Amino acid sequence: GGEEETNNEGSGDNGEGGSDSIKIVAAHNQTSPENPYQDGLLKFKEVAEEESNGNIEVEVHAGTLGTEESELVEKLKLGAADVVLVSPGFMTQTGIDEVNLFAFPYLFESYDHWEKVVQGEVGEEMAQIINEKSNNDFKLVGYWTAGVRHYYGKKPIESMDDLEGMTIRTQTSGVVSDYWKQTGAIPTSLAWGELYQGLQQDVVDSAENAYPYFVQQNHHQTDNGKYITETGHDYTTRFLLVNGNEFDNYTEEQQEIILKAAEASVQAEWESLYAQEEEYKQIAIDDGAEINEIDRQPFIELAKPLQDQAAEELGVTDLLEKIRQAAE
Amino acid sequence: MGFILVGLFILLMFIGVPIAFVIGIVALLGIMNIEYIPELTVPMKMLNGLNSFVLLAVPLFILVANLMNSGKISEKLIELALAMVGWIRGGLAHANILVSMMFAGVSGASQADTAGVGKILIPSMKKNGYDKETAVGITSASSTVGVVIPPSIPMIIFAGLTNASVGALFLVGIVPGVLVGLAMMIFVYIIAVKRNYRKQDRTELNKFLKLLGESIPALITPIIIIGGIITGFFTATESAAVATVYTLLISMFFYKTLKIRDLPKILFDTLALSSLSLFALAAASALGELMSFYQLGLRAQEFFVDYVDAKWLFIIIIILFFLFIGTFMDAIPAMILFVPVILPTALQFGIDPIHLGLIVVMTLAVGLITPPYGLCLLLAAKIGDMSIERSFKAVIPYMIIILVVLLFIAFFPDVAFYVPELLNPDLF
Amino acid sequence: MNRFVRLLEKTQIFVGVAFLCVFIVTILIQITTRHLEIAVIWTEEVATHSFIWSVFMGAAVMVNRREHFSFDYLTKKLKGRKQATLNIIIDITLIAFNVLIFNYGIKVVEQFWNYNWVSMPDLKMGYVWIAIPIMAGTMIIYSLSHLVKHVQVLRSGEVQ
Ligand code: NA
Ligand code: NA
Repeated sequence: GGEEETNNEGSGDNGEGGSDSIKIVAAHNQTSPENPYQDGLLKFKEVAEEESNGNIEVEVHAGTLGTEESELVEKLKLGAADVVLVSPGFMTQTGIDEVNLFAFPYLFESYDHWEKVVQGEVGEEMAQIINEKSNNDFKLVGYWTAGVRHYYGKKPIESMDDLEGMTIRTQTSGVVSDYWKQTGAIPTSLAWGELYQGLQQDVVDSAENAYPYFVQQNHHQTDNGKYITETGHDYTTRFLLVNGNEFDNYTEEQQEIILKAAEASVQAEWESLYAQEEEYKQIAIDDGAEINEIDRQPFIELAKPLQDQAAEELGVTDLLEKIRQAAE
Repeated sequence: MGFILVGLFILLMFIGVPIAFVIGIVALLGIMNIEYIPELTVPMKMLNGLNSFVLLAVPLFILVANLMNSGKISEKLIELALAMVGWIRGGLAHANILVSMMFAGVSGASQADTAGVGKILIPSMKKNGYDKETAVGITSASSTVGVVIPPSIPMIIFAGLTNASVGALFLVGIVPGVLVGLAMMIFVYIIAVKRNYRKQDRTELNKFLKLLGESIPALITPIIIIGGIITGFFTATESAAVATVYTLLISMFFYKTLKIRDLPKILFDTLALSSLSLFALAAASALGELMSFYQLGLRAQEFFVDYVDAKWLFIIIIILFFLFIGTFMDAIPAMILFVPVILPTALQFGIDPIHLGLIVVMTLAVGLITPPYGLCLLLAAKIGDMSIERSFKAVIPYMIIILVVLLFIAFFPDVAFYVPELLNPDLF
Repeated sequence: MNRFVRLLEKTQIFVGVAFLCVFIVTILIQITTRHLEIAVIWTEEVATHSFIWSVFMGAAVMVNRREHFSFDYLTKKLKGRKQATLNIIIDITLIAFNVLIFNYGIKVVEQFWNYNWVSMPDLKMGYVWIAIPIMAGTMIIYSLSHLVKHVQVLRSGEVQ
C-alpha cells in the first residue's frame, strides 16, 4: 500500500521509476472480443496494474500473438509471451503427458466437482508436475474453463444406440477419440473454421462443444447441428501459465501481485463463462434449436474402464482416484 | 527505429538483395532491437508461418497448371478458344483473352497461364500481323484474371488471414473476373477494327463440336474444384489435390500427352516456383510479428477514424496502397504483412471481409503487370522479346481496364455478390 | 567445391520433391478416408510437416540458382569489378543473415526437440524444426560458393 506509493513517487523524481517496472505480455488464442478468456485476462491486467501502481504493465493479446495454442506455448517457452492460456491437448505436445488426465471424458460430474478438484490437492499436484516436467519453463497460476461440452447433431440422442454409425467432429486426442469410438460414433477431424459448412452440408453428422463456442458460430442453426443433447461429457480445464524462469526473476513483491492477479482472473473467467453458458443456451433455444437431457449413467459407466486404463498408462492412477473421491 | 528499418529495407532492395531476404533481415534486425521479443522468434515464426494446411494448396495449384502446360492441355484450350471467337475481328487476341479465362478456372496462379499461352499465342499473333505491343500486352494483362476467377491462391491466403470463407471468396471472384475479360475483348475489338486486324476462318460446326468434345475433360476441372469447395465436399487444399490427380490422369490417359518420365521435371518446376513465394511468406511472417508488436493495426484504425473517417476514401487508399506494394512485392507476402494492418479499420467501416478480399486480390493482380516486379509482365516481355519499358507501355490500357472494373466492384459490390448469394446463401 | 555443391543441390532437390510427393499422397489419403468415414487423424499433420520441409529445401536450392527475386537494376548497370564488388556485398549479406538464422535455428531445435506431434505423440517436433538450420546451413554453403566465384572475378579484374 501506502509505503510503495511514496517509494514510487520518489523514484519517479530521480528517474529510476523504470528500473523495477516490468511489462507482461498476456495472450490467448480467441479473436472474438466477447470471450471469457478476454474477460479473465483483462481482470488480470486490471489487478496487476492497480496493485503495482503501474509498475507492472500488462498487454493483453486476443489472438494477435497467435490463434494456435501451440504457438502460444512456444512463445511462452521462448519468453516472447509471459502469460498464456492452454488446453490439456496442447500441453501434451510439450511432452507432459500427465495433463491429458483432465481431458478424460466424464471425469467430472459437475462444475462443483471440477472446482473442488482443481482448487484442491489434485490441482496442486498437477501444477507441480507441469512445473517439474517442463524444467520450470511453465508455472501454473490458475485453472480456467472453456465450459462443459455437449453433443449436437442431426438427431437428438435418446440412448447410446443413437450414436451408432454417426460421424462426430471431435478432438483428435487419444482417449477422447477412443471413447467416442466405443459409443459407436465415428470421430472425424475437421477444422473448426470449416465445421459450420460441414454441418450444413452433411460432411459430418454431429459435433460436440460448449454452448458459448458453437452458438457463437451458429452451428445450432445448421441441419446437422440443431439437436443438442446435454451429454456433459467434458467439464473442460484450461491452464493459465507463466514462464517459471522469468517469474523467479521478478521481485518478491511482483510475484505476489502476479499471483494475486491470477487468482482474481480465475474468478472473473469462471463468472464470465458461467454467465455466457446460460446466455448462449437461451439464444440456442430462441433460435429454435431443440435441447434434450439424457441419462448420463450408461455413458459414465462406459468411460470408467477407459479412464482406468489411460490413467495407468499415464501413471496418474492416484490422481484419478482422488478425483473420483472428490465427487462423493 | 521504424524509420531506420524502412530505410534499410529500401537500401537492401536497391542494391539487389533478394526481396524475401530483405524482408527476413529487416524482421531479424528489428526483433533483435526489441527486448521483449526474443531472437528465436524469427526462425519460429518462419516455420509457423508455413504450418497451415490451407497453404498446401499453393504448390498444388501450381502443379495443376504445370501439368496442363506439359500435357499440352493448354494447346487444346487455345484451339477451342480460337474456334469460338477467332472469327471476330482480332480473333487471335480474343482467343488469347478467352483462353486465359478458361485457364483461370483451373489454375490458382497467373504466371503459368502467361507462360503456357504466351509461348504459343505471342509468336502466332506476331506472324498474323499483330504488333508486338498488342501481343505482349494482351497476353500478360489477360492472365491476371487467373487469380480473380477461382481457384485463386491469393484468395486462399486472404481467407486464411481473416477467417473468411474460401468458398465465398471464390464465388465472388467469378463475375469480376469475367467482366475484366469481356471489357478487354471490347477494347480489343475497337482497336482491331481501327487497325484492321485479321479474322480467322470460321470453324466448321462438326470440327468445332469435335474440339469441344476433346476439351470437355479439361473443362471439367473447374467444376470439380469450385463445385467441390462450394458443396463442402472438399476443402480448398483437398480440391487442389484432386485437381492434380485428375489433370495427371487425363493428360496421361485421355490426351496421352504426358509420360511418366516428364514428371520429375514438372515436380521440380513446381517445387521451385512455389518455394520462392512460400519462402517470402515465411520471412513475411517473421516481419509480421514485428509489425504486430508495434500494433500497426490499431494505429491504422486510430489514424483512419481520426483523419479519414470516410469509407469510400479508405477504399481508395487501400487500392492505391496495394497498387504501390504490388509493384515490388508478391501478392502473398504483401497480404501477410498488410492485411492484418488494414483489417481492423475495414471492419470498423463496416466493409465485409469477403468484399475487402476481392478488392485486395484484384488490386494485387494488377501488380502482376506493373514493373519492376510484375511476374506476368516479365514473362510475356521475355517471350515477346521486348524491353520491360515497352512492354509496360503496351500493358497500360489493359491495366486501366482492370482498374475500372476494380473500382466498379469496390463501390457496387452487389455486382459481384448478387449471383453467389443466390447460389449458396449459407456461405455469406 | 563445385562438385560438392552440385551433389548437395541434387540431394536437396530430391528431398524437396520427395516431401512434395508425400504431402500430395497424404492429402489424397485424407480425402478418401474421410469419405469412407474412417478416422485417420495423422494426415493433416504429416502433410503440413512434409510441406514445410519441401518449401525450405526448395528455397535453399533457389539460392544456389539465384532465382529468388531481386532488383537487378544496379547490378546490371555496374560493370566488371564494381559489379563483382556489389555481388560480394550481396553474398556476404545473405551469409550473415543465414549464419544468424542457423544459430537461432539450432537453438529453436534444442528448445522444441522433445515436443510431440499432436496426432502421433511418438514423433518428435525436432524432426520438423531441424529443417530450418538445414536450410540456413545449405544457403550458407551455396552463398559461399558464389562468393568464391565473385572474388575470383574481382581478382582477375585486378590482374587485367
Ligand atoms: Na484461377
Ligand atoms: Na508488380
